[in-house]
Amino acid sequence: DPVLCYVVSVGIQFENNCEVGVFSKLTNAYCLVAIGGSENFYSTFESELADVIPVVKTSIGGTRIIGRLCVGNKNGLLLPHTTTDQELQHLRNCIPDQVVVQRIDERLSALGNCISCNDHVALTHPDLDKATEELIADVLGVEVFRQTIAGNILVGSYCAFSNRGGLVHPHTSIEDLDELSTLLQVPLVAGTVNRGSEVIAAGMTVNDWTAFCGSDTTATELSVIESVFKLREGQPTAIVDDMRKSLIDSYV
Amino acid sequence: LVCCPDTAGMPPPPPKRAKQAEPSSDMEEEEEERPSSDADEELSGSDGDGDSDSSPECSSSDDDDASQEMETVQADFAFFDPKPADFHGVRLLLKTYLDSKPWDLTGFVDLVLEQTTVGTVVKMAEDEDEDGEANGGDKSDDDGDLFGLITVLNLGRYGENRCIKDLKEYLLAVCGDKDTKEKLKSLLEDKASTVGLLVCRRFVNFPYEMVPKMYDSLFDEVSWATEDEPTQELQDSFRFKQYLLLVRILERKTPPKQKAKNNKDEDEPVIYPKLEDEIFRELSSWSFTFPIRAEQSAQQELKNYKEMGLVMCVKADVIPKFRKKLEALVSE
Repeated sequence: DPVLCYVVSVGIQFENNCEVGVFSKLTNAYCLVAIGGSENFYSTFESELADVIPVVKTSIGGTRIIGRLCVGNKNGLLLPHTTTDQELQHLRNCIPDQVVVQRIDERLSALGNCISCNDHVALTHPDLDKATEELIADVLGVEVFRQTIAGNILVGSYCAFSNRGGLVHPHTSIEDLDELSTLLQVPLVAGTVNRGSEVIAAGMTVNDWTAFCGSDTTATELSVIESVFKLREGQPTAIVDDMRKSLIDSYV
Repeated sequence: LVCCPDTAGMPPPPPKRAKQAEPSSDMEEEEEERPSSDADEELSGSDGDGDSDSSPECSSSDDDDASQEMETVQADFAFFDPKPADFHGVRLLLKTYLDSKPWDLTGFVDLVLEQTTVGTVVKMAEDEDEDGEANGGDKSDDDGDLFGLITVLNLGRYGENRCIKDLKEYLLAVCGDKDTKEKLKSLLEDKASTVGLLVCRRFVNFPYEMVPKMYDSLFDEVSWATEDEPTQELQDSFRFKQYLLLVRILERKTPPKQKAKNNKDEDEPVIYPKLEDEIFRELSSWSFTFPIRAEQSAQQELKNYKEMGLVMCVKADVIPKFRKKLEALVSE
């Protein structure tokens, strides 16, 4: 097993965007980072992850909003029909062989907004094509559930979960939290990222040992994230200096 | 467990006069046939000047239903003081204020929100919740609710804030001409305490009828502040001698083609997304432009144009002239 290091990195921006989860996609087997933006953005991922998993620079359909367009886990990566042949080839080349990379023909092409998953379970937009649902189950090796989150159909946008825990839209009811938690078989918490943003998956990206959050994320939000994703169980480690300086003293 | 956003520790605002008659203009919205979401509302003028241009960007209607396919929806806009809950809306408007290189944008937003005595945000009239936003509220915290922002920040008063330092550094870096740079430097350094950074940001389809009201609101608040602020020092900080503006314009890339007669926009060497910027530029003491590095808009109509930044220095004593010209322009 690789040495696990529990880190929550902050101070990340992509061209003044704190939406880390828009410009990246993190799994336990690989990490995708959007082309463009400062080298800082890419190098933050690289310095945390490169010893353990490949960090791949890419675009999807010529755009940089890769986190919202694709969905993946350690078993596979699903790409929208807008992905170019070159991009597909590039990804197949750089991602480990055991990960199945597939381009799919789904009308709802912002796959990252419509689907959220870990290595065992996926939640999908209620109107997703049946064929797509089957592909998700096959390629990603997961059980698929059609769901809404706090009344939102874009389940991929309003939650982020790993194999250890998950964060969902702040207005999710207790009943829904319980139901989702049962489906996903991980503890869940309702909360925000980037200083009150409800679009969880846009503001952060997470796998079983690391989370990257946008630089507006408050100390309170960070502590919730560390706690639910169990990022503090190892040695207290590597919290980058910037984060310490920017920690706000007040707690709710 | 619900995570509530931290509020930055802010001092209570000094007492101020009530915002001048909230000009909630009754704007008619047209719902076009394309699928629209709340964030997609088309705004149009209700004065029926007979302009029946129905392009998606800007459409106006007559009061008599000339277009039966389109519903009109009443929308009331109102002006409010900035407050902490406006953080995301204001941040969205200011995201592209400087170029793509990271700077203390969050600090800048906080600064704008803290200065409640001078500064206005434009929202839908129903959005103001008297109970405050402490409990998150029942309504969805929709960033799309904030349509516009106007404020002015004293570059001397806030000179020690990291965001202002970043901004000054940026402006000096993008200024190419040596002489202009000297003038700019003087403004940012020794004259800073008499200089107001005038920031006006709004969505592209913001009703132009409300623009003069935004500026009225701003300059009135500035004038009141010179009397109402609790200390002499604060009062003086609003006696601006100059305003500094940073805006975006579009410059034509190539010389005009002969066949560009049908599209009148293509003849224009410069397009001003905010109409008042053209007036500011005419009245400015000096100005300069610089190229924008961030990804350019892919809009088909604008492919012959490139986005440029425009910095202008406008003397405070020409503001009355500006207000007259703006009023005239809008009533055309």
